[in-house]
Amino acid sequence: MKTDVLIIGGGPAGLSTAIETASRGLDVTIVDEASKLGGQLNQQTQALRPLPSLYESMRGFELANKLIEQIKDYNVRQLLNHRVVGFYADGSAGITDEENVFPVNAKKIIVASGAAEKAVAFPKWTLPGIMTIGAAQTLINRDFVMPGREAVIVGSSDFAMETAIQLMDVGIRVKAIIEKQSGALAKEQEKVRELSRSGIPFYFNSFIKEARGNGQVEQIDVALPDDVITLNVDLVCMDGGRAPILDVLYQLGCSFGFQEELGGWIPQYNNRFQTDREDVFIAGNAAGISTHGPLLLTGMIAGISASEELQAISALEAHEIREALWKELELLEDKEMHSGRVKHLEKFANPVLKDQFIY
Amino acid sequence: MHIEKHPVLGRQLHKPVTIYFNDQPYQAYTQQSVAAALMANGIKKLGVTRKLVQSRGLFCSRGRCCSCYMTIEGEDHVRSCMTEVEDGMRIYPNMDDPEVRRDIDED
Repeated sequence: MKTDVLIIGGGPAGLSTAIETASRGLDVTIVDEASKLGGQLNQQTQALRPLPSLYESMRGFELANKLIEQIKDYNVRQLLNHRVVGFYADGSAGITDEENVFPVNAKKIIVASGAAEKAVAFPKWTLPGIMTIGAAQTLINRDFVMPGREAVIVGSSDFAMETAIQLMDVGIRVKAIIEKQSGALAKEQEKVRELSRSGIPFYFNSFIKEARGNGQVEQIDVALPDDVITLNVDLVCMDGGRAPILDVLYQLGCSFGFQEELGGWIPQYNNRFQTDREDVFIAGNAAGISTHGPLLLTGMIAGISASEELQAISALEAHEIREALWKELELLEDKEMHSGRVKHLEKFANPVLKDQFIY
Repeated sequence: MHIEKHPVLGRQLHKPVTIYFNDQPYQAYTQQSVAAALMANGIKKLGVTRKLVQSRGLFCSRGRCCSCYMTIEGEDHVRSCMTEVEDGMRIYPNMDDPEVRRDIDED
């Protein structure tokens, strides 16, 4: 199979990059291992803001539907339930439908592989019933399944607070929020107050000492600053933060740089979201952990840049659009994150080492 | 337990199907993942770890952690969180090492 642009990942960044490239007449192929496009937006029932000026404020699944609707007008091939498993010597991507592997030859590859949730380790943390907050959210909002009756949340980020509220809304009792720091980490303090008002204790400077259960979690010991308490729970949702998913970019041989604010090791890229492998672009959380608005913008910039190289848009027009998108990115993105991103671009322009990774 | 009426998304579970776990029938709905459908029926233990024989269950629900491997329709080591239920599907837990397919005759 041949295509102009191969987009790896069909979440918000992948879809926004698909709109930019396909709307300019390019032949676009999206590959995603899920059965539906939209990525993690599909189970997000919370309102997303701020979004780029092109979009009104809406809930996650509504944004997924809107983006999916937009690409219907264009020439976008969808390889759902498919995965990239490697690359052939001639540069073609090896894609599997879980039975056979076939090559896809693309002029440009845009990697929008997203991020994975990290775990919080404690003794017996692998017991069934202990899962990431994202998994709990998927169960209630995508699968319509109760993951448990009595839960604790480990962590207090915006995502954790949002999920705690969503769990309560379907009737799960949230018994406690456990945070190892001395205060709630969420930027939207209103959600923290809402949870406090509904009587949920926040245990700060605290952590799970141990989980217990016969075949599944039944009980946890929580180490408070000056006490240890035992809670009976059948669900533990842990928020260990997120890390970019980079498997494909290692395989492509892109150079990497360390950028704390963006989630650690990520591929180096320039202001076109182009890596040092000139045919490979990057977008979304894979280019550094961020929030929804910026994810869409990075996808748009990568899409414009790939379109420019394939001569689907003039260099001048591409330059102008890119400038405007970068301005909006600066406005929408968390300040610290954005300055990390700018520092990251400088590393691409002035590399200290060519290959930061020792293989 | 299935969420029949979701506070934001309303009623979405329309097409019931029957799945079989360890040859026992359970109700699920199309578009649910195998792991989720089992959890709705109170089954959280999906297998055991190879070395320490500890219980495993759904962890990330994204196909990343591979904690939810099960035997589905005769195939070992399938990620049950990434597989949608189908009517009559036969599911077994992964309780030991998988049968490795071999092309080379070892005799």
